[in-house]
Amino acid sequence: MEVLAYFPDYLSGLWITTTASLLSFAAALVLGVITAVFRRSGIWPLKVIGAVYVEVIRNTPSLVQIFLIFFGLPSIGIHLPAFEAGVIALAINGGAYLAEIIRAGLTKVPSGQFEAARTLGLGRTDTFFHVVFPQAARYVYPPVINEFIQIILATSLLSTVALNELTGTALVVNSLTFQTLVAFAVALVLYLILTNVVSFAAAWLGRRMFHPPLQLRQERQHGKTLLKRLTIMAGGR
Amino acid sequence: MGWAGIWESRELLLLGFWFTVILTVVTIITSTVLGFIVALGRTAHIPILGPILRGYLELFRGTPLLIQILFIYFGSAYLNFTGVTVFAAIVIAMTLYYGAYVSEIFRAGFESVPYGQQEAGRSLGLSRFHVIRDVIVPQTVTIVRPPLVGQYISLVKGTALASVIGYADLVRQGQGIIDRIGSPFAVFLVVAALYFVISYPMSLIERHLEKRTLQA
Repeated sequence: MEVLAYFPDYLSGLWITTTASLLSFAAALVLGVITAVFRRSGIWPLKVIGAVYVEVIRNTPSLVQIFLIFFGLPSIGIHLPAFEAGVIALAINGGAYLAEIIRAGLTKVPSGQFEAARTLGLGRTDTFFHVVFPQAARYVYPPVINEFIQIILATSLLSTVALNELTGTALVVNSLTFQTLVAFAVALVLYLILTNVVSFAAAWLGRRMFHPPLQLRQERQHGKTLLKRLTIMAGGR
Repeated sequence: MGWAGIWESRELLLLGFWFTVILTVVTIITSTVLGFIVALGRTAHIPILGPILRGYLELFRGTPLLIQILFIYFGSAYLNFTGVTVFAAIVIAMTLYYGAYVSEIFRAGFESVPYGQQEAGRSLGLSRFHVIRDVIVPQTVTIVRPPLVGQYISLVKGTALASVIGYADLVRQGQGIIDRIGSPFAVFLVVAALYFVISYPMSLIERHLEKRTLQA
């Protein structure tokens, strides 16, 4: 088993995959919240910016977005290393998807909640952060975690800009050992472990953080289809 | 910025555009068929089949499409399957990957039809096949359509990965043009715009269908 001699390289690949995913996801979440707020604000230039950002990103391949930032930006004088370029590209990409998820979650919070908070004397910012956002967070938690997993899978694209994350490591080991099946199988298993650990941990954390909101409880009685549809629509890139 | 050079290379881009469209159409058909069959298999409650199909979904939804493509392409070369060309490898990989997502959409659709309808259909003397074709499928079409189109949109963008193993799609032609005239920023912008041309109308259709489903 020649390939197993390269196991430390796989682990460092896994480490790069994990850090790239976490950084991209964190930045994407910030971008997503900002964009969702932009699109819900009454100010039309912000609405237009939000809409254009979401539509352009969601209707072009993430591979091309990565290439634009890594290969394209140097021609206008911005040089970024592969890791940084990749994280920025994936954050911009994920932000557009998260914006739509968060926007859908915000619309689920009844407007009476907003009005009540305002009547009780809370300012707009306080209303958003202390009343609307915590409620929306419950609704958006499952699809947001789903998006995190999509970002983990998308980091494999960074192998095309010569970053030795997990897929890149598998490619290198394949060309060194010619043990094609084992070289890729090791990476596949590591991806499976990573995505499963994340989704189990997220499910556990979700149970700890949120009691199921009322509306979801009702939907559950009607069958889980609606919830499922929400998660499926966010899936696949 | 090299716009003139890009305009001169428009035939290459157009060729890549058609390669992308062909790959998209083929994999939409194959992954929908596979997804439908898998969804039927999962709702059929056949003892051994259930865990196998769940394993298939776990494997293909839990790993990146890119490494699946690489595995199938290089792996079949390693095993001397000479029939697996670049196009075949990409179609097989994308069918398996998107078929897994599509099957979950169909399954959610099937589950939205109350189980009593199946029993009613069966006790009225319809065969299993007719229950599926005439009772269940017609009721799921409206529910399934919007997420299905959404999945096709992500499939269009997924075809860009075919360029990694050398399929002459939009991205690959774009890279060729960059090798010739430079200006990567402008070329990739044009490539992105051409994907947008395919994908955006599909997004509009998805939104329209979603509105109709919500009204129904």
